[in-house]
Amino acid sequence: MIRLATILSSRWTRLVLVLLIVQSLQTTLFSDLRPFGVAVQIVLLFVVVAGSLYGSAIGALTGLIAGMMFDMILPTPVGLSSLSLGLAGATAGLLIYFFNEPTWWMRLIAVAVASVLGEIYFPMAQSVVGLDGWLQLRVIKVALVVAICNVIISPLAVIVCRWTLSERKVAI
Amino acid sequence: MAAGQSTRRRAIILLILSSIILITLDLQSSSTVSGLRSVFGAVFRPVESTSRVVTRPISNAWHGVFDYNEVLDENDRLREKVAQQEGATIAAAASVRLAQELLALNGLPTLAGINAVTTQVIGDSPTNFAQTVEINQGSESGIRVGMPVLNAAGLVGKITKVYGDRAVVMLITDPDFALSVKVINTPRPASTTTTIAQSNSATPSPVVPIDPVPTLDSSVSTTTTTTTTTIAGFTPSPTTLPAAPSGVTSITVPLASDLAVRETGVIEGRGPGRKPIVRFIDNSLRFGDIQVGVPIVTAGGSRSLSPPDILVGSVSRVVERLGSAGPVLEIELVADLTNLSFLRVLLYQPITEKVAP
Repeated sequence: MIRLATILSSRWTRLVLVLLIVQSLQTTLFSDLRPFGVAVQIVLLFVVVAGSLYGSAIGALTGLIAGMMFDMILPTPVGLSSLSLGLAGATAGLLIYFFNEPTWWMRLIAVAVASVLGEIYFPMAQSVVGLDGWLQLRVIKVALVVAICNVIISPLAVIVCRWTLSERKVAI
Repeated sequence: MAAGQSTRRRAIILLILSSIILITLDLQSSSTVSGLRSVFGAVFRPVESTSRVVTRPISNAWHGVFDYNEVLDENDRLREKVAQQEGATIAAAASVRLAQELLALNGLPTLAGINAVTTQVIGDSPTNFAQTVEINQGSESGIRVGMPVLNAAGLVGKITKVYGDRAVVMLITDPDFALSVKVINTPRPASTTTTIAQSNSATPSPVVPIDPVPTLDSSVSTTTTTTTTTIAGFTPSPTTLPAAPSGVTSITVPLASDLAVRETGVIEGRGPGRKPIVRFIDNSLRFGDIQVGVPIVTAGGSRSLSPPDILVGSVSRVVERLGSAGPVLEIELVADLTNLSFLRVLLYQPITEKVAP
């Protein structure tokens, strides 16, 4: 009973539930609002924020789980976003590693850079498995727009990410 | 702390390996992966539906603020277009009906004989690297993978994933899209006039030239060449002679090379913002130079996923290649893929795909 309660209240269970909501926002609101014709990637934002807040291991794990869930609704092969988002989360964590006592703006830079890279990893992964045609100059525009939008929304994502991934003791 | 890090590392390695295995399985169209998708879909759909309802006001407000002027401009453009096309529609409808009757008389397949399901687009692709839309009809309505999807203008794409009550349509512009098409080329207009010498005719035979075949691009100038062939001593039977105006003793017979020539190729998408291309066009003399504006329709055939003669678009640019390699054609699609609302899925499966009862 205690073990079940511990599992249910763990941050990973919370992460899956929050990601379901984040993903539903991605497929509805954020696939409809397209600034400059580009879909804002809030799943990617959540992953890079997790990486920048909790380091590369948590970032990679969050990315792998988020990507695996995202893959289930995408027409691309299952596992592709998982790998690219996992890499993006790890990248965000590694970028923060280079800053000594990172401030909020350093985290913003890490979020922006990791968003750009994260958005480029996916078409690269597609090319690796033979789904050619997406590595075009347009990727640069897409990555830049996604990075700018992610930086704007990141304060909200930081709050959600902190609430989701913080470790809490269960009192039973 | 160290135990936690070790567990995390193991979890990361496990997830990476799972991803690689799943990619391999999915690329081989494994049923296990399809099952996983279906189970996840069953959990995710209610959350998504709720989210759609909750976020609709935000979405509407966004479009109200950022797209208002664009909508007004589009409205004006569409009004003008409707006015222009009203007359043409009646004539076109009559022609289509006539063509369908002729096809039916000759026992040839027509689009009118294929059942269709009307659907509504309920979502765009959530990523920037897939050109797909989601529609609100699925296998329960008879939709299967591969079926062609149209809007009022022409071909839009094909079904790539089907669930019970929804399906995913891959648009023509997706780099993974490929379909065999026909290029209906009209070679440079030329006509021959056969003058039938009639022994009792005193008046000279006037020449009736054929109008050049209209193309979609009015900027292309054409030259009409007229060749006259006299067949001496030939008396046609009055029952087979086409009706001619009184006093006219010549009929115009188009050269075989004047008739529309069809050549098949493969249309391939190239991503958003880039026009699809048609490749593998045969560089034959009979086919001649491909003109800008000639229509592109689906090729059909026993192996094609689409029935023949669905309008896809028109040629907007011809890129000639050296040697015997045929030209590459850039295609201007007739369907506006940025504004899809209602679509029609043709419940068509080629004979090779049909499962025997």
